[in-house]
Amino acid sequence: MFYDLHMHSCLSPCAEDEMTPNNICGMALVKGLQLIAVTDHNSVKQLPAVAKVAAGMGLKMLYGCELETSEEVHVLGLFAELDDAMSMQNWIDSVMPVIPNDVDYFGKQEIMDENDCLTGTEPRLLIVSLEASLEETIDAIHSHGGRAVLAHVLDRVNSVTQQLGFIPPGLDYDGLEVKNLEQKSRVLETHSWITEDSTEWFIDSDAHRLGDISEPENYMRDSVFRRLWGDSL
Amino acid sequence: MKITELIEKTGWKVLAGDPAASPDAEGVYCGDLLSWVMGNGEPGQVWITVQVHLNVVAVAMLREFSCLVIADGAEPAPQMLEKAAEEGLTVLASDLPVYETAIMLREAGI
Repeated sequence: MFYDLHMHSCLSPCAEDEMTPNNICGMALVKGLQLIAVTDHNSVKQLPAVAKVAAGMGLKMLYGCELETSEEVHVLGLFAELDDAMSMQNWIDSVMPVIPNDVDYFGKQEIMDENDCLTGTEPRLLIVSLEASLEETIDAIHSHGGRAVLAHVLDRVNSVTQQLGFIPPGLDYDGLEVKNLEQKSRVLETHSWITEDSTEWFIDSDAHRLGDISEPENYMRDSVFRRLWGDSL
Repeated sequence: MKITELIEKTGWKVLAGDPAASPDAEGVYCGDLLSWVMGNGEPGQVWITVQVHLNVVAVAMLREFSCLVIADGAEPAPQMLEKAAEEGLTVLASDLPVYETAIMLREAGI
């Protein structure tokens, strides 16, 4: 199935207002995707609405979040079950520094229902680093039943290679996210301890605007999905 | 400058390694973004950082730094200190922020 497992809703301050639950799911369908994940910064609060909309449209969904570790590395937590993803919020709250969001500077953090009606806003700034190391964050994702994917690993901002120099050997992640196949080759060339088959590889959009959601170009085999997330589809 | 002499002058605590066996200090490098440090550090420098991930040890060995100073009271995980000891990297602890820590190195004569 064609997928895009990294995109931001209007709950992320840096995403456009147009990234509402209905617009995201509608655009994913129009683009021809079969599987999506919405991954807001340090929050899962938009997921119940997106889950309802996706189910109504017949779109498959993983329930996600993009966590920022104390080293300022971005990690995706991707869950097969909505309840598991929602249970991450308690953990996030326990390690998130409370800094009020300056809406004028960072942008709005809006929570919606399945009709795209505003039901609340997140008053704490979401683009902050959690008081949890990369290892602790991956452990938390696993203990809540999710899979951990290191986000945009070669990006110049908030990637594991930028913050920590290289992908640590022995780190217990489930997948690596790159922007394209050339980046995947670069990761393999520079990390002798990583092979094509030693992890799963994902190419996602990291869309903050509707138009940036992936075209149907990145395909995941059902067997890969089942290995990581079971028979939940 | 010998690292043993540096410790006498600064009073910094030794968290790992053998100061007497460390390469002499020649200059200072400050940085927490490990990709940047990998690209710009020079052999023999004393590296001041608040980054405490295990990868710090690998970067310090790669750049052949003289020793590592963890500043601002940042607390390294036991695994990092074990790895540093294993690699023979001296790790010192300064309670002062990076800027004041760097000034102490200058005043010590590095």
